[in-house]
Amino acid sequence: MTETIVRRTAGWLTAIGRSVARIGWPRTDKDRAAVMISSLFLHIHPARVSRHALRPRATLGLGLVSAVLFGVLTVTGLALMLYYVPYPNEAYRSMKDLQFVVTFGVVLRNMHRWSAHAMVAVVFLHLCRVFWTGSYKAPREFNWIVGVSLLLLTLALSFTGYLLPWDQLAYWAITVGSSIAAYTPLVGREVKFLLLGGHVIGPMTLLRFYVFHCVVLPGLVVMLVSLHIWRVRKDGLSGPTVTVAPVEETGGVFPPSTKTYGLMALTRRPSASVAARDPHDEVFAWPHLLYRELLVTLAVVVALHIVSLLFNAPLEEMADPTRTPNPAKAPWYFLGLQELVHYSAFVGGVLVPTAIVAALIALPYLDRNPHGAGVWFASERRLANTIFTAIVAVAIVLTVVGTLFRGANWAWVWPW
Amino acid sequence: MSVTPDRAADGANRRQFFLAGVVALGVSVTGFVASTLRFLVPNVLYEPPGRFTIGNPADFPPGSVTFLEDRRLFVFNTAEGFYGVSSVCTHLGCNVKRGGPGFQCPCHGSQFDDSGRVARGPAPTPLAWYALSLSARGELVVDVDRTVGPDFRLRV
Ligand code: FES
Repeated sequence: MTETIVRRTAGWLTAIGRSVARIGWPRTDKDRAAVMISSLFLHIHPARVSRHALRPRATLGLGLVSAVLFGVLTVTGLALMLYYVPYPNEAYRSMKDLQFVVTFGVVLRNMHRWSAHAMVAVVFLHLCRVFWTGSYKAPREFNWIVGVSLLLLTLALSFTGYLLPWDQLAYWAITVGSSIAAYTPLVGREVKFLLLGGHVIGPMTLLRFYVFHCVVLPGLVVMLVSLHIWRVRKDGLSGPTVTVAPVEETGGVFPPSTKTYGLMALTRRPSASVAARDPHDEVFAWPHLLYRELLVTLAVVVALHIVSLLFNAPLEEMADPTRTPNPAKAPWYFLGLQELVHYSAFVGGVLVPTAIVAALIALPYLDRNPHGAGVWFASERRLANTIFTAIVAVAIVLTVVGTLFRGANWAWVWPW
Repeated sequence: MSVTPDRAADGANRRQFFLAGVVALGVSVTGFVASTLRFLVPNVLYEPPGRFTIGNPADFPPGSVTFLEDRRLFVFNTAEGFYGVSSVCTHLGCNVKRGGPGFQCPCHGSQFDDSGRVARGPAPTPLAWYALSLSARGELVVDVDRTVGPDFRLRV
């Protein structure tokens, strides 16, 4: 009697589990492929991946780390929204509440701030990695553009987040930022008016930045990240192409000798990357890719916790429109631009950023050199790599100068 | 698109109908985008007014420079008369401070001379001079929507 009840209950539980996951713990290679294909979330991965793509140094995992950071930012950001009031002074007070009243409030705010800083850095490094490995080449040109858009969105998210605490840093960063927008030819003044919701920074500005930060920009990021990852999946990861002899399609079915697992053979025409790769150089995504991803995610989350427990996110005095701090510095990722703006607002604030973005977007269509995709610093790409590295170096030098070598009235100081 | 010969005329009509639909969709989407953009421009601004009084001329001792910080305005009372200079840096909007001769900006190091002309740094134009006037009650009135040249003086 009892035995029957236990057996039946176990049976139901398994049935429910199977109805959700469809496939139990995969024990055979066939199941390992089926698991990846039958789950919406796992389907981001191919069933099998090349060994090359699994090597940590092929991608450094930077795309995954950015995605994990974005996830952490979403979760912590949603939590912060429960205590945050988007109104001048109230906003600052809610920061103080998070700091002193709400249990773990300060940790959540720290995590949000540090993940945001990390995301800017990691997304930028991801762009560098993709350039240095030549991974924007055909067929990935458009995905490079999606990636550039995601970098811009990351910066926009960080910038809109900056106003929200309504402290001195926030207020003056927005003052300078929106004034830079006003230097745009033709539409500058209108853009500034739309951003601020008026002529001066006030409640309207805060509300606009809040909506941008919490709804509009994250929504765009989610859409573009989905597109970005989907294209990576469809185009395959770049890598030295280990080609096998080209095979003829026979009756719409791919010959089993090239693709050993049958599920992929359901597709009429496998994409080029699938067709060209040597199947013996591939392993199953479950567990080889999945476990690595879990490990990276774990490492990122643990690191963020440690940093957030040790270091508090800065909060300056409440915003004071009558007193500009001296020096008034932008967040670090804009200090290179601030250094440029110190020479000319139009050149540094409008011309150079526009030129850089335009060059990045045009890059995959200008660089017709087909060689060196998937290889770090390929010798066939020496010219491209040199130019890019030089620009990155200039950006880093400018940022360091703006961060460490500029003091009161933006005069040159020595950091020691 | 395959159209059988006997239905060709019908097909052309369908194409026209389809085109009309596309045009209508385009028009309505454009209208929607335009109205949304217009929606983003507020009709009422809850901002401090551009014209305001700053007190009696007697509150400003002769030969003095007063900084009204919440108005972001320097008020000069010189032998030739009153004038008001904005403290908003024309570069990117930081507050300039008086120091040494003229004004200094903390953000990117612009410097202005005593009458607000650019002495050094990235600021593209001189500091704004605002029109001053006397109200019926004899109070000083500033109008930040009206800028004047550096020869402006208000004799009281
Ligand atoms: S805002 Fe004054 S120098 Fe830039």
